Amino acid sequence: MVRLITHNLLACHVKGCTTNNFPLTFQDVQIELQEAEFNPEFVRNLLSRLDWAALVDAAKQVGDTSLPPEEPEMMDDDLLKKLHHVLLEIHVIEGAMTCPNCKHVYPISNGIPNMLLAEHEIG
Amino acid sequence: MPKEYLFVFAQAHEEFRVPELLSISDLYAFNIGFPRYGEDFRNALVRPFMILTLDQEEHTKLLAERCILIKSIYEFYAEGQTYKELHEQNKMAQSRWTQYVEDTSFKFTVDAFNYSIGQRRQREVIESFSYMDFMGKIDMKHPEITLGCFEEYRDDRGEPQSNRNKDGIFNHVYFGRLVAEGSARSLVGKFDVKKREYFGNTSMEAEISLLMANQAQASTSKLVYDPFVGTGSMAYTTAYFGAHVYGSDIDGRQMRGKAKTPGIIRAATQYGVADKIMDLCTFDVTHNPWRCGGLFDAIITDPPYGVRAGAKRLGRKKAREDPSLTHAAKPRPDDQPRVPPTKPYELSALVSDLVVLARYLLRPGGRLVFFLPTVTDEYEEVDIYSMLCEGMEVIANSLQDFGSWGRRLITIRKTSTSYHSPPAFDNSSPTQPDISHIPAHKDFREKYFQGFRKESPP
Repeated sequence: MVRLITHNLLACHVKGCTTNNFPLTFQDVQIELQEAEFNPEFVRNLLSRLDWAALVDAAKQVGDTSLPPEEPEMMDDDLLKKLHHVLLEIHVIEGAMTCPNCKHVYPISNGIPNMLLAEHEIG
Repeated sequence: MPKEYLFVFAQAHEEFRVPELLSISDLYAFNIGFPRYGEDFRNALVRPFMILTLDQEEHTKLLAERCILIKSIYEFYAEGQTYKELHEQNKMAQSRWTQYVEDTSFKFTVDAFNYSIGQRRQREVIESFSYMDFMGKIDMKHPEITLGCFEEYRDDRGEPQSNRNKDGIFNHVYFGRLVAEGSARSLVGKFDVKKREYFGNTSMEAEISLLMANQAQASTSKLVYDPFVGTGSMAYTTAYFGAHVYGSDIDGRQMRGKAKTPGIIRAATQYGVADKIMDLCTFDVTHNPWRCGGLFDAIITDPPYGVRAGAKRLGRKKAREDPSLTHAAKPRPDDQPRVPPTKPYELSALVSDLVVLARYLLRPGGRLVFFLPTVTDEYEEVDIYSMLCEGMEVIANSLQDFGSWGRRLITIRKTSTSYHSPPAFDNSSPTQPDISHIPAHKDFREKYFQGFRKESPP
């Protein structure tokens, strides 16, 4: 179940693909919503690890536009809840993620992304 | 002023007790004192009773709820090599128990370690405390307080009948008032692998998985990662303590099993922690897609060391002349996922890489917890230090002994606060500072299958 937080932490890692290799683009995705327990402290902790622009863009790709385009300086409870939903409750079950640079396709099957590289991609 | 408490431990995993106490007291940010045990307490203590100090009595509850190896904790009153010594001390400690004399219902238990005391002598022992003059009623079911007396005998397993422990000939005796019963031990049954929805032949047993989660200080709001997640044994216990867990494995079949819902998710659902499994990903950790470092509060893992499952990494045993030619020439049907070739990953190289990887992926103060198999006769402490790198410090090293070999649960803390680059994962440039030292875990697989013989067979 690729959550959007996971999408936000993964980059293309093909040998030599080091620029424009993040964020990966979703393709033909099947989405499932699964409720998760809201823990404001955990969501706050995740903030420092996030790339905000990539998150907003990924959310848009899966049809969620609840987040402001710029990272707000203050996080109120309402926004933390939205963030919680976007980061943790939207799951990509099937589909793929494609590198915008080298076009490597990382397939997602039964919620598990296959990030393995082919032989010629590890150098 | 810290007070003394008598800790009664489960008779298992001796070397894991003190590291567990230190991890949990550090997690809850309180002190635990070892004033009776000198400098070398981490190694010296294998006995089932310890007298330790705590600043507040409520800390006993926190420890008893989380430490897998605690059976019970008593407010310490007295100890001695004989009952005479014990009673003298107990009289001196009157201020600790005098408040219960007048009107407190109580129960009195007499127990022994490595021996079983007959009922008649139990009664005699209880009567020998009559000078305490407790006036409250005796209540065996719901007493307000429980007083416990423990005789510690030497280990007489394997001794001839004539040399067995004799009644009353003990090494030590302890006395105190029960303040907390270890509730975490029941988790060993809850996480029993045999009752799990999904497991494999390399699943880690429940008790060790729980101990590892404690060494990793798993708790709410933390993000934990297992780079060799396999069938997820440590993910369940870590998530149970409130942490969110990422898992990856080079072999997706391990994580999935046969049903549509991945096996790890099925087992996590059984334990009520499915929403704590952040995601599972298939990749080789030596070619990993993590976008940046400093992501995780802990890395907890059981690296494959080649006995039941060999460590593999992407690549070929022998390099091909032009790797770009390999599979492009012969496209495979779309419905078959490609399984890339893998090559063995030698243990000492894997472990050194793991430490450097952890330094990159952990946040400052984060912990790396993993098992390292070693050959008992060849192990030297320097083996552990030879795999370290700058900014990573060993804080615990506990042996689980299987005879000619054993495995060590290693806990390493990231002390560094600066940025570190990811490891090169390049076999040709070893990361060990001292290349001349060959650790006992090198080529562990080969040594295991040779039966740990010193010389190769004729």
